[in-house]
Formats: sequence, structure tokens, C-alpha cells
Amino acid sequence: MLILGIDTSCDDTAAAVVEDGKKIVSNIVSNQNEIHNKYGGIVPELASRRHIEMITPVVHEALVNAKTGIEDIDAIAVTYGPGLIGSLLVGVCYAKSLSYVHHIPIIAVNHLEGHICSYYLESIPEVPYLALVVSGGHTSMYRVTGTGNYFEIGRTRDDAAGEAFDKVAKLLGFGYPGGPIIDQLASKGDPQSIHFPRSFLKDSYDFSFSGVKTAVFNYVRKNLQTSKEDIAAGFQAAVIDVLVGRSIEVAKQLGIRRIALSGGVSANKGLRDAIKEKTSDEGLQVFLPSVDLCTDNAAMIASAGYYRFMKGETAAFDLNPKAYLPIGSANG
Amino acid sequence: MRLQSKNESETIQFGQRLGKKLKPGDIVCLYGELGAGKTTVTKGIASAFGIKERDITSASFTIIAEYDNDIPFYHIDLYRILNGETRELGLHEYFRPDCVSVIEWAEKADNEIPDTPIKVRLKHAGDDMREIELEGLEL
Repeated sequence: MLILGIDTSCDDTAAAVVEDGKKIVSNIVSNQNEIHNKYGGIVPELASRRHIEMITPVVHEALVNAKTGIEDIDAIAVTYGPGLIGSLLVGVCYAKSLSYVHHIPIIAVNHLEGHICSYYLESIPEVPYLALVVSGGHTSMYRVTGTGNYFEIGRTRDDAAGEAFDKVAKLLGFGYPGGPIIDQLASKGDPQSIHFPRSFLKDSYDFSFSGVKTAVFNYVRKNLQTSKEDIAAGFQAAVIDVLVGRSIEVAKQLGIRRIALSGGVSANKGLRDAIKEKTSDEGLQVFLPSVDLCTDNAAMIASAGYYRFMKGETAAFDLNPKAYLPIGSANG
Repeated sequence: MRLQSKNESETIQFGQRLGKKLKPGDIVCLYGELGAGKTTVTKGIASAFGIKERDITSASFTIIAEYDNDIPFYHIDLYRILNGETRELGLHEYFRPDCVSVIEWAEKADNEIPDTPIKVRLKHAGDDMREIELEGLEL
């Protein structure tokens, strides 16, 4: 069973061919960082225009790399939300056109579910498990009881963790994306030298990263001479403490033995090391996608699409992208 | 008018009072540095339109968050956009007489915004305190 995955939900145009939901046959991601370095972020119209330019070559490349043709594809899985509406439209319209011309079924995939399926390409955690999706646009925690069954336990009330990394990097005078830059700086700094606040909300398992961002802003303004490495290390330690601390606390509370991390921030080396160490101390099992599957890609979309397709869930031509598209039910 | 907010919940309350005075077609421009409380004020404004505070999160990443209410509500955040680049965004499509828009980092789009917006300026005033200045509307 060959699934062609397409994702244009944010900055990258991505296409991939995946066999049976787990074997990556090809995986192409157009890196748009040269645009972002110039603009300091995602400019939606520019991003969607770039997607239009990139979608045909990226899909073509994915098929060529897979040594297959569109006629061998069993279904097309496409991200229809959440994300930038103009960008999503490009992928959805392209997938619909391919589907119409070549009579291939189409599967609508939620980008967040794609992130949750990114580790399915390597190993599938036994259910139930706790899924933490941490990226530039999202920080959400779910109890997963089966493929497609998600219960939201908490999510950010203000900034996503990845967004806080981007904003702190910009504050320290660096470019976009900020995550890898902060990770690199932090590895050379002392995480204990500056203590930034850890926000553990008392009344819920929601996250909040706006406070630590503001604390770094205030600190930088008053301490112009402090080493950027120490600021980065102190900031990163505060974010990691909350992400790792909260997931372990929730897992124990719910009697869950497995934690799976995904999304762009899960590529952060400091976070990967910390969650491996802390879960091991607690006797919990941790699942992390390999670093190149953490950031946005279409292989994870194809994998998520495979499981939906197996359940007979295909989309009709009236499929439309949605900017706001939560997954799962709340407070399960 | 000027007022001082002692903490986050007072900043939200200010947003709620402001939100209740808004009518379709209104545009609120928010100005202030990182962490000044722009998203916090937006949470308050949005709650006056039946949107839960928890559902308003930072829009820096997505830039435009749309809420399909009886009165469509747009939360726009221009943090990532450079001055002069906003023409690419097609912001005017959001400024319709039946909608309410709240714009963070509005100074980046001053030329695109119709000339009668409501303006809120936020400043850090030590710890959790913020100075708030409102222009274009009486509370």
C-alpha cells in the first residue's frame, strides 16, 4: 500500500511516499529558510506563493526518489489544517487535482495527528500513551488510546514553546528559526547561572510560556553584558523543566507508562537528553522521532493517512482547508 | 484615557471592558514590547465576543487567527512581519464592516489600517504592572 503524503501547512512544501504507514520510500522537504532569514519569519502570502512554485517539483521529486509513478499510488494524504489558510490551500487543491485526474482516493489529515504519527515510522508505542506535540505553533498534550483516538489533556494558553525559542533568539540578536540556535548556545552556557521562572499552572495541565519569554526580555534589558550562552542555557532549562516535568507528572497521575514526543522542538538536543534521562529514572518508556522527522514533513502525513485509509476514511472533493482544527476530545 | 494594571487578570478585565464597547467594523490596534500584555488584552476583548480566554493564544506563528462567530473575530499578530511588508498580507480583506479585528504589533501596518482605529498602548511598569493608554474610545 503506497501513500503519497503532501503537507503545505506552514513554511515548507513537503511530499513523501510511504509504504504501509511505516516504510519511508521517499521524503522531500523544500527548505524555505533562505526566505525566512530575509523576512525574520513566515510571511503567509510569500509562503503560499512559494508553495505554488514548489509543489509540482517537490511532488515530482518524491515520486522519482520512490522510483514510482503516480499510477502506483494507492491514496493521497494531504494536510487540511491547522495552519496558514493560503498555504494549506495550495496542498489541498493540488491533492484534489491529482485525485481527480488520476482517480486516486484522497485522505484529509490533521497536521497535529501527523506529528503524533511521526514516530510510527520507526516504532509504534503501545497504547495508552501520552503524546506531547511541541512546535512553533503548538504545545499540546494528549492521552492516546488508539490510532485516531486522542484526548486533550492540556495545551498552551499563550505562546507555543517553539515560538518562545524563536522570540528569545531574536531578542538575543539571532535569526530564524531560533530553536537550533538556542540549543547550540545553551550547550555552551551554564543552565544554573540565571534562574528563569517555570510556569506550572495550578488549576490545569495547560502550559504557559509567555511568562518565561517576558522574564528573558526583562533580564536582557537590565543585564546587557551577560553572556548569551548563559541566557540561552537558563531559558532552555526553564522550558525543558516544564515540558519534561509536566509530562512525567501527568503520565504518573494517569498511570501511563509511555511518553512520546514530537514536533519541531523535539529535535532540541537538550530536551531529548533531559526526557530520556528523567523517564529512565522513573521507569517510563520514551519515544522520540529521529531528528529529521521532528520538523514538518510529509512522511508523517502519509503515515497518519494510511491509518485513516485503513478505516475507510476518504475525503470528497468538497474538502476545504481549516486554519483552526483541534484534534481529539477535551479532558479525556 | 490612561490606567494602570496591577497584574494579568486586571489586564484581561481591561480587555473585557473594551470588548463590550466594540461594534462590528471596529479595529483595535495594540502596541507594546514583547511581554507587554497584547495577547492578554486580546483574551479580554475576545471574551466579550463569546470566545474563551483559553482559545486565544499567541498568533505570532500563524499571523492571522480567525474565529467564526456571529461577529467574525480576527486576531492578527504582525510580530514576524517587517515594516512595509504588510501589503503582501491582504489585511484590507479582514477590515470589513461586519467583523472585529484586533492587531498586535499594529505599528508595522500603519499604512494599511483605516484611519479611525482604536489604539491601546501597553508598557512594562515593573514586575506584573503595566501602563495602559487607550485612544479612540471612552470606557
